[in-house]
Amino acid sequence: MYGMVNKAIQDLVTIKFGEDKWVAVKRKAGVEIDSFISNDSYPDSLTYGLIGAATEVLGLSSDEILFAFGEFWVLHTAKLGYGDLLSSAGRNLGEFLDYLPSFHVRVALIFPNLKPPRFENSDRLPEQITMHYFSHRPGLSMMVLGLFSGLAKMYDTPATTTQTKFKDKGDDHDEFVVRWGNAMKV
Amino acid sequence: MTSTSTIIDHEQFRKLFPFMFVLDQSMKVLEIGSALARIVVEMVPGSMLTDHFKLYRVGQNGLDAEFLQRQTASLIVFQAIKSNLFLRMQVLLVKNPDRYVFVGSPWLRAAAELKDIGIVLPDFALHDSTVDTLQLQQNTNVSLREAKELNITLERRVADRTSELSLANAELSRVMQSKDDFLSAMSHELRTPLNAILGLSESLCEGVYGGLTDKQSKSINTIAESGHHLLSLINDLLDIAKIGAGKMDLDWTNSNLEDLCKSSMRFISGLASKKKISISLFTDPIASTIHADQRRLKQILVNLLSNAVKFTEAGGHISLQTRSNPERNAIEISVTDNGIGISNSDIERLFRPFTQLDSKLSRQYAGTGLGLSLVLQLAELHGGSVEVKSELGKGSCFTVSLPWSESKSHFPQPAPGYKNLDISTDRVAAKGPLILLVDDNEINLSTVGDYLRAQDFCVILARNGLEAIQVVRERKPQLVLMDIQLPVMDGIDAISILRADPTLKSLPILALTSRAMVGDRERCIEAGANDYLTKPVQLKQLTHVILSHLNHLKIK
Repeated sequence: MYGMVNKAIQDLVTIKFGEDKWVAVKRKAGVEIDSFISNDSYPDSLTYGLIGAATEVLGLSSDEILFAFGEFWVLHTAKLGYGDLLSSAGRNLGEFLDYLPSFHVRVALIFPNLKPPRFENSDRLPEQITMHYFSHRPGLSMMVLGLFSGLAKMYDTPATTTQTKFKDKGDDHDEFVVRWGNAMKV
Repeated sequence: MTSTSTIIDHEQFRKLFPFMFVLDQSMKVLEIGSALARIVVEMVPGSMLTDHFKLYRVGQNGLDAEFLQRQTASLIVFQAIKSNLFLRMQVLLVKNPDRYVFVGSPWLRAAAELKDIGIVLPDFALHDSTVDTLQLQQNTNVSLREAKELNITLERRVADRTSELSLANAELSRVMQSKDDFLSAMSHELRTPLNAILGLSESLCEGVYGGLTDKQSKSINTIAESGHHLLSLINDLLDIAKIGAGKMDLDWTNSNLEDLCKSSMRFISGLASKKKISISLFTDPIASTIHADQRRLKQILVNLLSNAVKFTEAGGHISLQTRSNPERNAIEISVTDNGIGISNSDIERLFRPFTQLDSKLSRQYAGTGLGLSLVLQLAELHGGSVEVKSELGKGSCFTVSLPWSESKSHFPQPAPGYKNLDISTDRVAAKGPLILLVDDNEINLSTVGDYLRAQDFCVILARNGLEAIQVVRERKPQLVLMDIQLPVMDGIDAISILRADPTLKSLPILALTSRAMVGDRERCIEAGANDYLTKPVQLKQLTHVILSHLNHLKIK
C-alpha cells in the first residue's frame, strides 16, 4: 500500500491516543520507520501489522479500528492533502457517491502500484444509493462503512449504511445501501 | 464515411461537452452546456456572449463572425466578466445556417480554484483530463509538503545534534583545561623536589659542601642520573601533552646543522663510551643550515641517538649522517646502528606512545616508550616525517626528513651583544655581584644559594613577592632570580611592580620557575622578566645565564 495509508494510521493513533501509543504500536509491529512517505509504496503486510498491533496496544477490536480509520481517512487524511479535490467531488453526499467510481479510476491512474478497490453504484433513488465494493484485500468492509460514515459527517448529512452483501461470507463482493434524508425512515 | 450525427444524438453530444455553447453570426447565444449554464447563470439563450465573456488574447478586442472564421485552427480562451472562470475552447463552424459551436472546458491552475469558481468534479465530462491533472497536481503538492516537513524534521535533528555536540565540546574543553591545569600543577610539583635533588647532587659533586669519598661520589652520581632520567620523563610527557593539545609553538631559527649534530652527539657520548660504542658523523656540506626549532631538533636527534646506544651491544657502532635531498626539498638526517634491530611487524607500532616492543625488552632496556612517539610528532610539527629501516639482529636506520630549501640555506651571523661574549672566561662573579634569590621553598633557597655563593656571588634571599620588592628597594641587587608561584604576592605581580619603577628598568630579572606549561614563558616575559628558566635548572647553566645578563648590563 502507499505510504499515505500508513501515515493515516500513524496520525489516527497519535491524534486520538497519543504519541506514546504510536511508539508502542510501531514497536509491537516491529516497524522502525520514523516518517512514511505518502507516495512511496510499502508492503501490505506492514499495514496489516500496524492495524494488528494497534488492536492489541489500544485494546480495541479490529472492526472498531477499521471503522475509526475509515472515518479518519475522509475527515482528516484525505482532507489534509486532497481537501480541495475532496470537497469538490460533489455538491452533496449523493453527488459524491455518484462520482466515487470515477474518482477511484482516476486515483488508480495516478498511483500505478496502488491496486485500489473498485466502486460501482446502482439502484439510485433520490436519497438512496447502492454501492458495490470490489477489493483484492480481505477484511476491509468495516473500513468502507467508516468511509461512508465520514462522508456523511463531511457533508453534514445524517445517513445510514447497511451492508447487504459480504465477501467474507461467500459473496463475490461487498455491497452497501446508503440512505439519507427521508429514505432513512424506510 | 458515417457522419457523427448518425452515431451520437444531440443529448449525447451535450453530455460529452458540458461546457459547450453555440452562437449565431451576431454572437448571440443559442445554446449552453449544462455545466456552464449552472456556473454562469445569466448566460441564457438569446443573450449576447460579450455580456458574459471577453476574449483573453493580446491585441484582439472585438469578437465577430469574421474573426471566428479565422480561428477554427486555434485555441480560443474566454475570460468571464463576473468571475474568475477561464474557458479554453475550440470553435467549429457549422454551415446553413452559419453557427459557431464552441467545445472545451475550464482552465484551472489549482484545485483550489474549483471552489472559487463553483465547479464540482462531476461537472466535467468523464473524458476530460482536467480532473486528472488536478489530482496529479495535488499529489505533487503532497510530496512537496512532506519534503518540506522532512526537511524541517531533519533541520531540527541537526540543530539538536549540533547542540549536543556543542555541549560535548564545551565539556571536552573543560576536561582539556582540567588536564592542562593538572599537567601544569604536576609539572610544578614534580620539578620542585627534582630541583633540589639535582641541584644538591651537582653541588655535592662539585665539592660545594666539601670533598667526597669515591663511594659517596658514585652514589651521588647515581642519584643525579636517576634525577635526570625522571626529568626527561616529565619533559617528554609534558611535550607530548603540549603537542596533543596543539599548544606547542616552534621557535624557528636558522641553525648550523653540523653544530647541532655534534652537540647532540656530545649529549650521549658518555653513555656510548661506557659501552665502547663508536659514533661517527658524516655531514653534507650543502645541507649546512637548517631552518628549524633548534631545541626541538636536538631533542629529536638526542632521542634517536640515545635509542641507538640503548639497543646496540657493547662494541657496536652508530653513525649520524646528514644529506640534502634537493628533489624532495628536504634534509635527511639518519641515525644508523648495528644493534638488535626491529622486526617488520613491530615497526608499525613503534611510534605509538608508551610502546615498547615487548616486556622483556622493557626490562632489559630502560625507557618509557615515549621517545619515538615524540620524535615523530616533533618531526611532523616541522612539516617532516620519520622513516625506519631495520632488520632483526642486524641493526636499524631512522631517517628524519625535514623541509629544506637550498636557496634559503644561509647561516646568520651572530648578533652583536652578549651572545658574542665568552661567558666561560668572563668571571664577573669574581667581583661578587649581589644576587637576590626569591623562592618560598627552603630546599631550593639553600641548594641554589649555596651553589651561587660557592661561585663567589653574594646571595640575599626573599620568600615572597612583596618581600622581594622591599629587598630590591633596600639592597639594590644587581640581578634577581624570581620564582613565580609564591605566597602573599606571586612572582608575576612582583616583576610587574619592579618593572614599573623607572630606577629599576635595567635590573635583570630572571624568572626561575617550575611552571613549564604553554604560555608560562610568555606571561613572565610580558610581566617584564628578562629571561625564563625552568626548574630543575642545571646550576652550572644558571651561573652562565646570570653571567651573560650581568655582562650584557655591563656593556649597555
